[in-house]
Amino acid sequence: MSDVGFHLAFWSLSALTIGGALMIIVSRNLIHAVIFLILSFIGVAGLFITLSADFLALVQILVYVGAIAVLMLFAILLTPRAARDNEESLMRYPAMILMGLVIAAGVFVALETDWGPMREGAIGTQAKIIGESLINQYVLPFEIGAVMLTAALVGAIALARQDDEDLPIHTASLIEEGVLPPPDGDAADAPAGPGDDS
Amino acid sequence: MPDAIVLSEFAGIGMPDWVDALIRLVFIVALMTLNTLALIYLERKVLARFQARVGPTRTGPVGILQSAADALKLLTKEDVRPHSADRWVFELAVFFVFVPVFLMFIPIPFTETWFIRDLELGFLYVFAVLGLNIVGVIMAGWGSDNKYALLGGIRAAAQAISYELPMLLAAAGVVMIAAGHLLDAGLVGGALNLNTIVDQQRTTPYILLQPLGFVIFMIGALAEMHRPPFDMPVAESEVVGGYFVEYSGIRWSMFFLAEYTGLFLMVMLGSTVFLGGWNFPFGADAGLGWQIVLTLAKASAMIFVLFWLRAMFPRLRIDQLMAFSWKVLLPFALLQVLANGIILAYGGPDWVVGLVSLALLVSLVALIYVLVRAKAGGDSIHLEPARPRLVTSTEVASGD
Repeated sequence: MSDVGFHLAFWSLSALTIGGALMIIVSRNLIHAVIFLILSFIGVAGLFITLSADFLALVQILVYVGAIAVLMLFAILLTPRAARDNEESLMRYPAMILMGLVIAAGVFVALETDWGPMREGAIGTQAKIIGESLINQYVLPFEIGAVMLTAALVGAIALARQDDEDLPIHTASLIEEGVLPPPDGDAADAPAGPGDDS
Repeated sequence: MPDAIVLSEFAGIGMPDWVDALIRLVFIVALMTLNTLALIYLERKVLARFQARVGPTRTGPVGILQSAADALKLLTKEDVRPHSADRWVFELAVFFVFVPVFLMFIPIPFTETWFIRDLELGFLYVFAVLGLNIVGVIMAGWGSDNKYALLGGIRAAAQAISYELPMLLAAAGVVMIAAGHLLDAGLVGGALNLNTIVDQQRTTPYILLQPLGFVIFMIGALAEMHRPPFDMPVAESEVVGGYFVEYSGIRWSMFFLAEYTGLFLMVMLGSTVFLGGWNFPFGADAGLGWQIVLTLAKASAMIFVLFWLRAMFPRLRIDQLMAFSWKVLLPFALLQVLANGIILAYGGPDWVVGLVSLALLVSLVALIYVLVRAKAGGDSIHLEPARPRLVTSTEVASGD
């Protein structure tokens, strides 16, 4: 790789990452903020590639952009008026202090870390190394993470699921109000209107 | 494996790296355009044959210039933007849809030595950039400030996220087998390289070892590309035209460019991962000519099947589609990964892997058959959606 191309890539990707991150804060529209977040994620993935961490870069795109950011977009789209009327809030002062602390911690870590091994270059096929350490050295955190994700999934379904799934919602509420008699036995016998396509 | 072809050697003139890269990018753009024009014409002709019509006939001999005429018309059309649309999101959405598909071209091997770039993690790369597509679709749907566009965009994104999982897991089964073969050959890594995966299929294409994986992959590809019968995001009768309903002219045609290129790349991926790409049945010894003919013939056959499915099946309902992915395809894809893992870990031979996958495929088909029969016969298994249904006042009165 030529030196000029490398520096060009590094500086433009850094500009993309930091510029995107700044725009997330400045933007009052939540949808715009998420789109800038995605640009920032892409910039980070590009920086991983310049560090020869290609597996990490692809996972960054696959997980952060393809799943997490899209999930955020969904949540915002399904929240009424989330995209507009975002006025100033008093909460920004505690948020500023918290972010200042986080940035200070980040700078401290960056200054204290021993970056020596970085100069030795890439360490071979990462997918294999990461996979092996996940199921050997770090198998316990890996399994705990898996169980936690499963629990979160089951919890989300339990929260979102409605109780009597078999009945049409309208019919169920009518039964509750005593307008309709409770169905005996098979729920499919409940009255069906012309809109029913079974 | 011989090294990738170098354009400067191929052309016989010296050129710097960046000129080489530029030529490759121009090649992608040219191929995208030509491929889209050809596929649209072929789709119209093939569908017409299925429906006992003749399709386009007026423009050029047997209507072959129809797509070119359409493209010219679209290029000269006015680029309209709705007054209330979010300007930047609306205009940039097109690129978020187009660029990922463009990037997907890079690691696909056409022959042993012909590809844009040979990526070590090409398999993962293709799926990673495919995920970027969803962002563009949501941006288009939201930025248009049109409820039908928004509904289409949400449908498309929900569908793409749901089907990405079984598709990736189905193809991961192939990577597991390829990694096992490579380990037997004393090599470490490389199982995520698309060209190596093709190279492994010298005697047997992976469709024989992973028939279930191939079927799930094809269903996933249909859903990812919003092809019928999974075209709810762009269903004219439900959401008018889906997420690109407000677009016109060049931006609209870029959506179509992305869609048909995506279709082509999906079948190219299917032909490299499952059907042996340039390798099977002649092997690496066949010349460049045979290799490219083999790859493209397999891809064309798969495209024809996709057109066929479009002509054959009615559109599904969105809740049926989501349930099918999460409740049927994902468990089967996971089962296949589990079965592959157990067999390969204990050093089972290839034919056991193939047989188990075939058994899983048969049980998948049997399960679908039972479910459909239960639905048609009105048995006790309900496939009804949990959503409000119209109850008329007379029924309420009579039920009292």
